[in-house]
Amino acid sequence: MPEIIIDNVRYEYEQPGKVLQFMLDQGLDLPYFCYHPSMSIPANCRQCLVKAGTPIVDRETGKPELDEDGNPKIRYFPKFMTACSLDMSDGMVVHTHVTSEEVRRAQADNLELILINHPLDCPICDQAGECPLQILTYKYGPEGSRFEHKKVHKPKRIQLGPRVVLDAERCINCTRCTRFTEEISKSNQLTIVARGDKNYPMTAPGETFDDPYSLNTVDICPVGALTSADFRFKARVWEMAQTPSIDITNGKGCNVDLWTRDNLVLRITPRYNKEINDHWMPDEGRMAYRQMNENRVSKPEIKLSASEHSKTSWNNALMTFVEQIEAHKPEEILVIGSPHAPVEDNFLLQQFFNKLGVSDTLFSPHITPGKGDDFLITDDEAPNTNGCRMLGLGEIDKKKLEAELKSDKYKMVVILTDDLFGRYEIEPSITEGKFTLTFATNYNATTKAADLIIPVTCSAEHTGSYVSVDGRIQRTLPAKETLYSNRRLNLEMSLSRLDHFGTKFDNWVSDRNRIDCIPAWEFLVRTAYEMNLKLGFESSREIMAKISDELPALNGVTYERMDEERGIQLDLKQIPAENVS
Amino acid sequence: MAQDWKSFKPVLIPNIPDLAKIDVYEKNGGYSAIKKILTDDKWDSQAVISEVKEANIRGRGGAGFNAGMKWSFMPEPDGGPRYLAANGDESEPGTFKDRKIFEFNPHLFIEGCLIAAYAMKIDAVYVYIRGEYREFINMMDKAIEDAYKKGYLGKNILKSDFSVDMYTHSGAGAYICGEETSLMESLEGKRGYPRVKPPFPAQKGLWGRPTTINNIETLANVPHVINNGASWYKSIGPENHPGPVLYGISGHVNKPGVYEFPAGMKITDLIHEVCGGVRGNKGIKAIIPGGASTPPIRGDVIDGVTMDADGLREVGTLMGTAGMLVLDEDTDIVDVITRISHFFDHESCGQCTPCRDGTGWLYKLMSKINNGEGEMRDLDLLIDVCNKMEGRTICALADAACWPVRNAVERFREDFEAKCKKTVYAVA
Repeated sequence: MPEIIIDNVRYEYEQPGKVLQFMLDQGLDLPYFCYHPSMSIPANCRQCLVKAGTPIVDRETGKPELDEDGNPKIRYFPKFMTACSLDMSDGMVVHTHVTSEEVRRAQADNLELILINHPLDCPICDQAGECPLQILTYKYGPEGSRFEHKKVHKPKRIQLGPRVVLDAERCINCTRCTRFTEEISKSNQLTIVARGDKNYPMTAPGETFDDPYSLNTVDICPVGALTSADFRFKARVWEMAQTPSIDITNGKGCNVDLWTRDNLVLRITPRYNKEINDHWMPDEGRMAYRQMNENRVSKPEIKLSASEHSKTSWNNALMTFVEQIEAHKPEEILVIGSPHAPVEDNFLLQQFFNKLGVSDTLFSPHITPGKGDDFLITDDEAPNTNGCRMLGLGEIDKKKLEAELKSDKYKMVVILTDDLFGRYEIEPSITEGKFTLTFATNYNATTKAADLIIPVTCSAEHTGSYVSVDGRIQRTLPAKETLYSNRRLNLEMSLSRLDHFGTKFDNWVSDRNRIDCIPAWEFLVRTAYEMNLKLGFESSREIMAKISDELPALNGVTYERMDEERGIQLDLKQIPAENVS
Repeated sequence: MAQDWKSFKPVLIPNIPDLAKIDVYEKNGGYSAIKKILTDDKWDSQAVISEVKEANIRGRGGAGFNAGMKWSFMPEPDGGPRYLAANGDESEPGTFKDRKIFEFNPHLFIEGCLIAAYAMKIDAVYVYIRGEYREFINMMDKAIEDAYKKGYLGKNILKSDFSVDMYTHSGAGAYICGEETSLMESLEGKRGYPRVKPPFPAQKGLWGRPTTINNIETLANVPHVINNGASWYKSIGPENHPGPVLYGISGHVNKPGVYEFPAGMKITDLIHEVCGGVRGNKGIKAIIPGGASTPPIRGDVIDGVTMDADGLREVGTLMGTAGMLVLDEDTDIVDVITRISHFFDHESCGQCTPCRDGTGWLYKLMSKINNGEGEMRDLDLLIDVCNKMEGRTICALADAACWPVRNAVERFREDFEAKCKKTVYAVA
């Protein structure tokens, strides 16, 4: 097998690639700014300079020339090479800062040059703490600067677009952002303007940077030049805890990280998953953090009049639910699942009402034709449409839904976390004379119409599985604590979350941001207990174990596998496509 | 080496009135080389390349690479398009030779392009001309139009199966677009950023296709090589750097201008015999032999130095574009270098860190010294900044920015020291 010698250590490789990527794959360290594994290689930051050479091959024999000790003679390239653009070849010798003082000097020199025009005001920079320039300067940079002149001044606080703010002085011209709009989002909205040390990224005159993926440029910016208009100066990165989750605003299931502090989700950033979203995610998914914090239903509510609800106790809510179920015949109950709720909740809803004798559980997909693109935005605006289809819920559209709601056949309506009234613009009066219950995370048109509102956890508070449009099942992890605490749910919290801020182990956490809600499945389990129905589950992990036993399409699916394999690709053929009931 | 430079008859811009007109050019033996190639079976493309390689035309754009060798790097045709880009960006300060070809002998250049296109089986020739040369672009357009009318360009040239198209393209005022890879980016309509090599233009050039880039003057030499043979060409000037050269001489001489003489002219001959001596009969302080990016040399080392690659290497400088700048004894060399540093600071494309920030630093240090605010330690810092920049960038602009500074500090240190404050630092 061909081999490459990096800092006197031999590594074998199968596929020749670039030296930098190979080193990163091996867990070796090399500073770089402009290189990004998903984009083209401009080699313009010049930070990953290494001393490299190849064996001298005797032209006549075709064999490498050997020195006195029998080692191949190496012909070094006359200049330092950028590891990012250097192709690996058999027998290549690479010296990094570890074994070459010259290379260490070259890397420090380059950082000194980058820093001469970069503002040295990290304490007031939003990027501080997650800034490659800051990190690499600590690691590889020179002690201080010998630059005693005025720095180049460039525009600051430029609102490039609705979501991105530019501070041109901080820019180190790595061109990651311009390459992103050119190669990944293909909107070509950014380019570098001006020349030399005066240049910075900009849109064309009069254009705004309204790319639906614009915030990815903020993630990949290695300095604080591009910041999120929404998130900047809200929190220091080291104050937040990171929890892996998935994007629940569309059907793609982009992998994300939720950044929380004191039980508020402050931002959402993409998490690398080669199978789904690579390093990227749409801007819309990032803004979903708001609905995790704001306008939340906390504590159950009962309708007093057409415009008024009153908070009530959990016990009262549960008893009202039981009473209403007992007051109605099974065929009088209309049960509507939700593509916005996880597989577990939908499954339990279906099971619960099955045990009561309700034969059909319906759901209405949230699909807006034409909204999607061929990248990460899908027509499907819900994260779990395929999950509902797998469970065999009956699919209904707006017309059918209105007809069902209007129908005198039904005296009671149960809606799982889905703003049906809002998204279909249905008048609340349609359910007059019927008892309407909705599980809800946020106040919306449906809660307005409901007689009983059960507050339930959102994707940032529970663990639940969602099946993407491509048939990949993935789960979320709790990132926020609720007021009610479930030990099993807390155990699902990632370790980083548990020893960080905002949990009850943290002494400055406030209760203010904790919502009084429980997972929808748990409310149903409690009701079942009250009604002596056999539906005993203690965690959604248990529910998933049950589902994978029962549904052939989900055989072998467990939380452990989902975590290890970053989601499991299901057989799309086993998912019924649009089974209109 | 031909010593009889005084009897040399110019061939690139001969003294023939109205040579830019295609009829006059034809009357004076124009387009005979391409006719010869297209009619004589002996001249297949390989033969043309080896003849040009044999003639050893050193690239006139500055790098001095054997043009025929460069042509031979082109891969075998695979059916797709192949390009020749003629580099007439000519924005190096002190260089103004290509404009003479556009102005006085455009058809010689067109013929050179035709031969190159024939040799490398090229479909389209792009002539990239400096944007400020608006009138020369117009002249070139006229010449190309005439050549099309006469059937020297277009489909089935001179009723052979050889076809080639030719276009002019105007630059937009960036020095960096004279660098061959950023010239290609500019031609493609992109921002003029030099590309990372490899891949080299011969493998992946314009629009990802095989491309060769030659200087205007280099291509203008080609028809003479075909007409008169490589051995004739090699008899002009020194063996290692043969051929006629357009010397663009400017600065403190009595008769500045573009002069065509064999390569390997003595610098002193050029100044005193050709250009009528230094203005006011003053002494020479410094010579910048090949455009602003070549290292300046002291006036007291130029005796007997010849203008060719080897001669200039001996005194530690380069041939460049043979755009020679003569500076007399009254010149403030620090001021000159400050101006040159400003040029490179202004023209750095900003892609690579060392060049983007280094050229600015050099200029700021130079103007500090030039304003009398510099200190002795700044001179060492200048050299150190140059060390940080040289050889660490994608293209050679950083090197070009460093050479004048580094060599001026080393060779004219007393001038620099005279401008510096005599700061004494207390030793703790």
